[in-house]
Amino acid sequence: MMKEAEHVIEVEKLTKRYGDLLAVNDISFNVRKGEVFALLGPNGAGKTTTVEIIDTIRTPTSGRVSLLGLDVTKKKYDIVPRIGVLPQGFSSFDRITVRETLQYYSLLFRVRNTDIDGLIELVNLKEKTKEQYKNLSGGLKQRLGIAIALVNDPEVVFLDEPTTGLDPRARREVWEVLLGLKKKGKTIFLTTHYMEEAELLADTVAIISKGKIIAMGSPGELIESNANYLVLTLQSVDEKAFEIVRKMGFEPVHDNHKNIKIRVEHTDDVRKILNTIKDAGASLLTLDVRKPNLEEVFLKLTGEALREGPAGGREAE
Amino acid sequence: MNLRVVGANLVVSIKSFYREKTAMFFTIAFPIILILVFGSIFMDQDNASFDLYVQDLDHTNSSAHLIETLKLNGKLKITKVDPAVNATEYAKENKANLLLIIPKDYERSFNQRIDTDDPSASVTLTYVYDPSSSSASTKMQILNSVFAVINQEVSGQPPFINTAESSILTKKYRFIDFFIPGIIAMAVMTASLFGTVNLNTELRQKGVIRKLSTTPITRTDWILSNILYQFILAVVSTIAMLLASYAVFKVSLQINAWLPVFIVLDVFAFVGIGMILTRFVKEAQSAAAAANAITFPMMFLSGSFFPIEMMPDFLQTLARILPLYYVNEGLRASMIFVDHTTALRYSAIIGVFAAVVFILGIIATKWEEGK
Repeated sequence: MMKEAEHVIEVEKLTKRYGDLLAVNDISFNVRKGEVFALLGPNGAGKTTTVEIIDTIRTPTSGRVSLLGLDVTKKKYDIVPRIGVLPQGFSSFDRITVRETLQYYSLLFRVRNTDIDGLIELVNLKEKTKEQYKNLSGGLKQRLGIAIALVNDPEVVFLDEPTTGLDPRARREVWEVLLGLKKKGKTIFLTTHYMEEAELLADTVAIISKGKIIAMGSPGELIESNANYLVLTLQSVDEKAFEIVRKMGFEPVHDNHKNIKIRVEHTDDVRKILNTIKDAGASLLTLDVRKPNLEEVFLKLTGEALREGPAGGREAE
Repeated sequence: MNLRVVGANLVVSIKSFYREKTAMFFTIAFPIILILVFGSIFMDQDNASFDLYVQDLDHTNSSAHLIETLKLNGKLKITKVDPAVNATEYAKENKANLLLIIPKDYERSFNQRIDTDDPSASVTLTYVYDPSSSSASTKMQILNSVFAVINQEVSGQPPFINTAESSILTKKYRFIDFFIPGIIAMAVMTASLFGTVNLNTELRQKGVIRKLSTTPITRTDWILSNILYQFILAVVSTIAMLLASYAVFKVSLQINAWLPVFIVLDVFAFVGIGMILTRFVKEAQSAAAAANAITFPMMFLSGSFFPIEMMPDFLQTLARILPLYYVNEGLRASMIFVDHTTALRYSAIIGVFAAVVFILGIIATKWEEGK
């Protein structure tokens, strides 16, 4: 069992109101030292409000938040030098180069011997050190933002939606940087609405919806306890395949690629479905059987999709 | 407050400014262009010489002597017209708004009056002029006063009323000398107000302020570095304007300790207003519009470009409640009239104003994202 002292973040009955809007509703959780903690939820769920209260940007309406053993509402200036933050929609000075930006932030933190070259290497920006911020692509800007969040060698790093708005390739490049950080044993608090990101990076995932934490655990635990089934995906040229499956008593749905998705309890069911389709003379182009992911866990728990539309990749049925 | 942090911030601001050519243009080159354009226009007015067409029908030594007198040390530029041509036609064709005709018997009448003191001996000089031209009537007034002096001398009596001139200035004071302090005050105001508003709203809108609020930089560090940056810009811009004015127009302005005093107060006052505006106007574009709404009337009503005495009474009263008026007049008091008492009085007024708006600006500057 983890000892209480190993919690670097303790959130207790945290509530935040903006007028009539209840953005965060009485949530409690702890983050252990050295773990990657992901707050997963759709836009407007309360992720950014929560992280911005913990990293001292905002103040709570009620509740208690302790970071590194210090009360975030009273000890901002003791906490700030010990944390690194990549805020949502991070931006920097347009006409300042990558190297100058890192030097600037290191001066703000009054760090005398920041390893600027090491940071540049860590986020893979070696070729861009003399490039002004405004000339960097979205992915490079985020990587610079992560490097800035590390200039003071922080004990806890907060990354608020570090890959939102990036194309898949840039997103993967940022993930590589974050995996490197994870290897170094940094405590990372991450918010995201990409379940792949949470699954890939997080030791603990808290699913947040409408200001409430509705489930928390490791990605494996969450899937195991909330989605104990298999997902069979069929691509068929025949419309009758859908009807055949439905008549067998399953509940097939079309995804946005016109594939048929069927939730099954056992591998035997897969065999039964395939045989029935074959016997009926319908043909299949492809099939895929996999365990459910966090997105399906989220759907099951909330009844709503984590992301809207096909831009997010796979869409929950 | 941490000086290294203030210094780091200052370096970032100066580098950003140096690399942003548009900002460089509007802060340094634009006021110089204004000085060069307006200066050239008004310098011409100061050195204006009028054209005068003269048709000498007498063609004698006396008429030639009269023409020489009418040149008035170069104030009038004389063009001689052939006695054979029709004066009215000539004036029309050559767009001459005033043509003076010296009649044929000018010398004979002149000698008759001088030698025999015969009061019936007189001549009539004819003006052929364009009544729609204002400069023609000005020239006729000048010529009439010259002729009055000649008449009085010919009559042999000394004048009863003499006039003497005594300038209130130690040196010759030209429009350009009036203009430069106004442009300095205006340029510093514009740069300080727009600089503060643009910097803060843009950085807030982009989220840079939010990022900075997660670093140890304090609101005091930020405001101090901003004010230092604006002061450096104001000094650079003022030096550039003064150099251009001395080099091109050879202005005779006094540089004394009041100049930096008024520059500092100008910066504080308008950075303060900028900070207050930033608090209430969220978007960068509307902030720029709000800044324009403040600077525009201030520019034209507070006497930056022309003396407020030229305006109607109610506008003059309005001008006296505008802070820029006190910077304009304070700078003029010190740079033109070397009037320390007036400079002190105006610096006290703008100083109190600057202190009040700057304190309000500090209170209005919101560093943390939200409560």
